[in-house]
Amino acid sequence: MVAILQPPPLTKTGITKLTNCWLVTRDSTLIQSDLWVGSTTGKILNSQAAFYDDFLVPEHTIDLQGRIVSPGFIDCQLNGAFGFNFSTVMDDMSLYRKELDALNKKLLTTGVTSYLPTVTSQAGSLYHKVLPYLVPSGSARDASVGAESLGAHVEGPFLNPHQNGIHNPSVLQSATSIIDLEQTYGFNNFAYAIKMITVAPEVANMTSFIPDISSVGIIVSIGHSEATLSQATAAVEAGATMITHLFNAMTPPHHRRPGIFGLLSSPDLTVQRPYFGIIADGNHLHPSTVTAAWRTHPEGFILVTDAMHVLGLPDGHYSWTNGSSESSVIVKKGDLCHLEGNEEAIAGSAVPLIECVNNFMEWSGASVAEVLNTVTATPAKMLGLEGIKGSLEAGADADFVVLSFKEEEGEGRKKRLGVDEVWKFGERVV
Amino acid sequence: MRLIIRDDPSSASSYVANYIVQRINHFAPSPTRPFVLGLPTGSSPVGVYRILVEKYKAGEVSFENVVTFNMDEYISLPRDHPQSYHTFMYTHLFSHIDIPPQNVHLLDGNAPNLEAECLAYEAKIQAAGGIDLFLAGIGEDGHIAFNEPGSSLASRTRVKTLTYDTILANSRFFEGGLDQVPKMALTVGVQTVLDASEVVVIVLGARKALALQKCIEQGVNHMWTLSALQLHPHPMIVCDEDATLELQVKTVKYFKSIEQIARAEGFEQILPTKIRTGPAPEVRVQRAATVVVDGFQSPTIASPQPTTSHLLRASPETEYPVRSRSPSPDFTPDRMGSRIGDPEHTRRLTPDPDQQQQKKQFAQPEPGLLQRHARSRSKTPRPVVVTTRINAVGA
Repeated sequence: MVAILQPPPLTKTGITKLTNCWLVTRDSTLIQSDLWVGSTTGKILNSQAAFYDDFLVPEHTIDLQGRIVSPGFIDCQLNGAFGFNFSTVMDDMSLYRKELDALNKKLLTTGVTSYLPTVTSQAGSLYHKVLPYLVPSGSARDASVGAESLGAHVEGPFLNPHQNGIHNPSVLQSATSIIDLEQTYGFNNFAYAIKMITVAPEVANMTSFIPDISSVGIIVSIGHSEATLSQATAAVEAGATMITHLFNAMTPPHHRRPGIFGLLSSPDLTVQRPYFGIIADGNHLHPSTVTAAWRTHPEGFILVTDAMHVLGLPDGHYSWTNGSSESSVIVKKGDLCHLEGNEEAIAGSAVPLIECVNNFMEWSGASVAEVLNTVTATPAKMLGLEGIKGSLEAGADADFVVLSFKEEEGEGRKKRLGVDEVWKFGERVV
Repeated sequence: MRLIIRDDPSSASSYVANYIVQRINHFAPSPTRPFVLGLPTGSSPVGVYRILVEKYKAGEVSFENVVTFNMDEYISLPRDHPQSYHTFMYTHLFSHIDIPPQNVHLLDGNAPNLEAECLAYEAKIQAAGGIDLFLAGIGEDGHIAFNEPGSSLASRTRVKTLTYDTILANSRFFEGGLDQVPKMALTVGVQTVLDASEVVVIVLGARKALALQKCIEQGVNHMWTLSALQLHPHPMIVCDEDATLELQVKTVKYFKSIEQIARAEGFEQILPTKIRTGPAPEVRVQRAATVVVDGFQSPTIASPQPTTSHLLRASPETEYPVRSRSPSPDFTPDRMGSRIGDPEHTRRLTPDPDQQQQKKQFAQPEPGLLQRHARSRSKTPRPVVVTTRINAVGA
């Protein structure tokens, strides 16, 4: 048959084209390019293939006026926000669901589109009750529910009692077999809800359980630990791929005994060097320490907030049940939190991830794209979600944020990145 | 030949872009009567595309009713490879304008049957009513599209092996070096380009100067395929000053002066109206509809015409109504004697062996001159009536 010109099909394609914008790429550059987003598939499209193969053209075109488009942020350590703490048991657990839904919607405003809801060290009964609510949202792919759980991060209770941080030491355990872990968290939760476990590998025989844990698809992270470099190396070679808030709640590096930090540049490591979380809130770590970690192993550098439920609340005193029925009090002042009566006891942070991004950019001199990759591409890779989350490449989930530089009030007039728009599964949600 | 010389690459590009916009707008294309544009890739047209995009964004032109045909594409290079011409066109032009994807045509270098792909491509050009404006660039060796030196000037869309020079020049775009550079390409032929109503060539930079000189000041030569443009009725070459380095001062001055004078006279070397507005819509639709599909052969390739006859036919004689000749009668071979009234002289004076033979055998009267005339006419070949038969494999 002869190809006589066909009139264009008048179908609704549901495709939005973002134009006049800078995209963050996997190799840490900003490129000026259009982004095609499918609202029906919820994914980033290969626009060239759509054009040539399927004769598709965008239904809407949005001019972003030179702003930056980054994949949606991924927070690997978030204890709660906007007044809700994931480690909370309620008399009526349907209320937990409601609070969680509200948190997911509000969390989007900070630019975080997916995260690991983090449960601190608790008695076993709490895990059984809350973890079923924190399962990965998986195939639901519903933009209207807000930020998406990629699975729970259980930070404890198999930790070193000497590095408990503010975790309640009375609930910490040492496991004698992997059954102990399954019983503590619940068999189903262990199989479905948990994405990451923070353990102290030197406690009991934990290192020997690591291959079994990682074999079910759970990421093993070293933290709240006094492991020496050789113990930590053994853990990494057994399958641990992450370090929970590097430097915090672990033996500080000594020049002859670098400890866990030594993993970042160890010449003896036979496997890939681990990823590591960094809390760049200006309180947990000195800027110089953050930069040292970045320079040592940039490919593993992941910014996390470790934010508490007081994130997004006004300054003041807030109660917190820390693994026991007794409630303690957290004092929030700006982005910082500490336990009441002890200003040295840092109680997580109250800083949104975008502020960690800004702090780190200011301290390290890393490029915008490099910094944004520490909350997008790198955590996605660590979680085994490369090319699905934390990416603007064709086929990835269309979770992304539109950012622009805003000049701060006051002296210095520093320019800081701000979140203008948030898109989830191809729909604008903020 | 129009040769437009501008001071620098950007003003040359801008001239071409403006010209294309004017042509499209004057043509006033519609869905049934689209403007058909032939397009090149390479470094020279990048500036033209950039300005076309700007003009589209400024609302000065729409590509909604523009149909495009690209010149060439590498063979076996993945379509979405960064160096493919599909990617080039998408990145530099198509993704920024309102052209409907179904109006865009590029050769498929990964087609299972490359020969059929080429034939189908020619058929698609025919079906779209022929190309109204073919934009082109040239290589340092004077190639137009991938019609490398030595290409037939009567060539049509086909598979072409690239010269070592071209492979070497392209290797800078391929990370792995020479091994990664495609060695073969599909390309429209020189004749395909010459069939367009108008050909506009952009030539930028000193590296192209020799090629430009060969194509303008020398004769038509298959070693500099762009020179075939000399046989086209409406070619236009737009170049920057650097590209004129090899031209004679006289040539440059000549072309500059005619451009200047033409503009001063308000004439501007304009095209004939019929080309600017295109044929009437009915004609175009008819042409598209009467295409005969044939899955096996294409007359243009299966039975090639002599080169010269092809090239000379590039200019349809009906195009210049002003110059139409006074009707002169067909040549009638007769004898001076026949014009004299005396019947004695109408008889043939020398013996005619044919007649003598016939007289002997059939004793028939001598055939009249009219009959002789008819017989001699029948010996001359009749002009071949070419029906447009088109191969459209897989279309």
